[in-house]
Amino acid sequence: MLSRVANSLYWLSRYMERCDGILRLLRVNYAYSQDDFEQFSWRPVLMIFSDMDAKNIADVKHEGRKVLQYMITDRLNKNSVFNLVSKSRENARSVQENVTKELWQCLNDYYHKVRLNDIATSLQKEDPVSVIDDLVQQGMHYYGTCEITMARGEGYYFMNIGKYLERAIQSVDILNVKFSELNYSLEERSDPTYWKYLLLSISGYEIFLKSYRSALDSRNILHQIVWNEHFPRSIMYSVRRLKQSFETLKSDRNGEAYKAISFMIGKLESSIKYSDLKDLESKGLQEYLQEIKQDLLAIGHAFNHYYFAFN
Amino acid sequence: MDSSTLFNNYPISNEFYDEMYNKNEIRPSYKKLYDFLRNFPAEELTKKEEMARRLFMSQGVTFTVYSGDEGIEKIFPFDVIPRIITAAEWAYIESGIKQRLKALNHFLNDIYSNQFIIKDKIMPIDMIYSCEHYLREMHNLKVPHDIFVHISGIDIIRDFDGTFYVLEDNLRTPSGVSYMLENREITKRIFPDLLPQNNVRTVTQYPQILYKNLAALSPRHNSNPNIVMLTPGIYNSAYFEHSTLARLMGIELVEGRDLVVDNHRVFMKTTEGLQRVDVIYRRVDDEYLDPLVFNSDSMLGVAGLMSAYRKGHVTIVNAPGNGVADDKAIYIYVPDMIKYYLNEEPILKNVPTYKMEDVSERKHVFENIEKMVIKKTNGSGGYGMIIGNSATEQEIDDYKKVVLEDPRQFIAQPIISLSAAPCYIDGKLQPRRIDLRPFALFGPSGIEIVPGGLTRVALKEGSLVVNSSQGGGSKDTWVLSV
Repeated sequence: MLSRVANSLYWLSRYMERCDGILRLLRVNYAYSQDDFEQFSWRPVLMIFSDMDAKNIADVKHEGRKVLQYMITDRLNKNSVFNLVSKSRENARSVQENVTKELWQCLNDYYHKVRLNDIATSLQKEDPVSVIDDLVQQGMHYYGTCEITMARGEGYYFMNIGKYLERAIQSVDILNVKFSELNYSLEERSDPTYWKYLLLSISGYEIFLKSYRSALDSRNILHQIVWNEHFPRSIMYSVRRLKQSFETLKSDRNGEAYKAISFMIGKLESSIKYSDLKDLESKGLQEYLQEIKQDLLAIGHAFNHYYFAFN
Repeated sequence: MDSSTLFNNYPISNEFYDEMYNKNEIRPSYKKLYDFLRNFPAEELTKKEEMARRLFMSQGVTFTVYSGDEGIEKIFPFDVIPRIITAAEWAYIESGIKQRLKALNHFLNDIYSNQFIIKDKIMPIDMIYSCEHYLREMHNLKVPHDIFVHISGIDIIRDFDGTFYVLEDNLRTPSGVSYMLENREITKRIFPDLLPQNNVRTVTQYPQILYKNLAALSPRHNSNPNIVMLTPGIYNSAYFEHSTLARLMGIELVEGRDLVVDNHRVFMKTTEGLQRVDVIYRRVDDEYLDPLVFNSDSMLGVAGLMSAYRKGHVTIVNAPGNGVADDKAIYIYVPDMIKYYLNEEPILKNVPTYKMEDVSERKHVFENIEKMVIKKTNGSGGYGMIIGNSATEQEIDDYKKVVLEDPRQFIAQPIISLSAAPCYIDGKLQPRRIDLRPFALFGPSGIEIVPGGLTRVALKEGSLVVNSSQGGGSKDTWVLSV
């Protein structure tokens, strides 16, 4: 496969994953903001997914509609849903013959949908959850189309690599921001609503109730998001899937590249797998998360170097 | 006339040939379509039109117009009423195009080698050397199977009496074939069952024929040659076509930056290292193909490509240098070429054409300017031309000055009135002027033309300019089997 094509597919998929993550986060946070307007702040969302500086964040952190507008339709915010979908579709367009016609049409439809002006109007004046739901559904349509129509070849696996790398990074970021509000302390007692909405925002609430059957305890929450292999947004799960997708790329013709990245992913997987809450506490949560994030970013760079920037 | 709303007040004119009406009679080829449409409520047709627009938009059959940072998606206007060509008309067009292509291909082989046509004084030598698309780099280069014009889109028009003429020979990188294919797909959706009822011949085999030809041109004789399509990239207005064709043929769509030449061989950069390329169907113009040989600023081409080509390690389709054969001044000599190379009488006629270089012809043109079109010999897209009866005096005077600066670059032709076909505009059917671009594929096993083509239509009332850049649209083109 052309390096350029692999690169476009990888980014197409990363942008869509990010878009999905953002939309779910917005939806839940909006609901949260209606529940608990005194405690609630949009700060974590803006910290994770925007370039806004502290001052701007302070200005809008209680202005739900403004934040939604900024995160969904703003043309200047490079992580707005509008821009993510546009970039994803632009990537698809430049490799159109490498994705199925169905997938292209799905992204193209999504693109035309986010361009509609009524989205901005509805976000301001009507029920924003309906708007977000509609967009999330279009995203699920994308995931389904991808699973059902894409050939299990290099292209599909590069898309999966992008997807799971992005997902792992998001999960780390969400933990990071949420715990930074508590100064990374696992002892800090927080309102159960706080944790409930954290789980809801990554679609992990129901799994949590089934797996842990206990109060919303910060340690259990960490366990679920870092280690729980049954939770499709846990870091462990994402890294495992990243590894599986990557292993399909093994071939005689790119031994060096394969070895280098295989080593990095394997090392990261082991370091998560063979650590537990105790190790995490002795190292400090902040540092633990920081290391994972750095490893994930390094893997991204290695793909750039070995697979996408062939010279 | 009848009272059905769609055909209400359909104007019958003597000034042009109407594809559907022969005076007040419906032509037999249009009879079934007419019967189908006359019972069709206008609102329904508007719905069909809207459905077609939505399908184009959703499938991304669009070109992007960039204004500022944001691209705006436009669709090439599509008229839902098909244009119909009878089996007899098609047989005539097909044989005429095949004959013409054979002669043009002989001409290219000749002009880049022995130049007998000049030695035998059929054509003056300065016609060649004054043509900016003549490539010295192609001289004495043996092209595979002696084929230069693998893919062509020769434009055909009809005058007021229905006579077919060749308007121009597009032999470089003609575009539009994806619209031929997409328009047909849309017709299948908006008018279910109408195609089989009318015995319309299929066009879907085009990508397979092209693929077969490309594979047969591979310099390496292996069973699975590596064929790529070279595009200028997503900002090119024909990008949709490039990706569609690549997809339909199952070949890789590459940009210049994906290719590299090493030891006179072309490779593409893949996730598994370099992979040899055998055949390049390029949609990049000659002057951008290789910055070492042509335009050194070009970012679209591949450095060293021409040397690999010259050594026979890669096949370029269409061959570089074809522009000398579709130059509008060389066009004048095509009937002579047919006689000279094939010893046959031309089947399809040329539009009478005046060389502006020739003093007496130029005088004649300027004196009859209101009946003339003056065009640049290398122009396209409806740009750089002037139509004598619709330009202002000032525009004509300005144009004359430009012509006099370099008359070789201009030709003139009498205004051909162009035939008209019914189009659905503002809730009723109205005649609009059309042309026809069939796509011919020239491979080692001969010339094949899929029965159909792109019918372009001038959507503005009275307009004779069908180019998409000038407010033109297109129609599905039906060739009937009986």
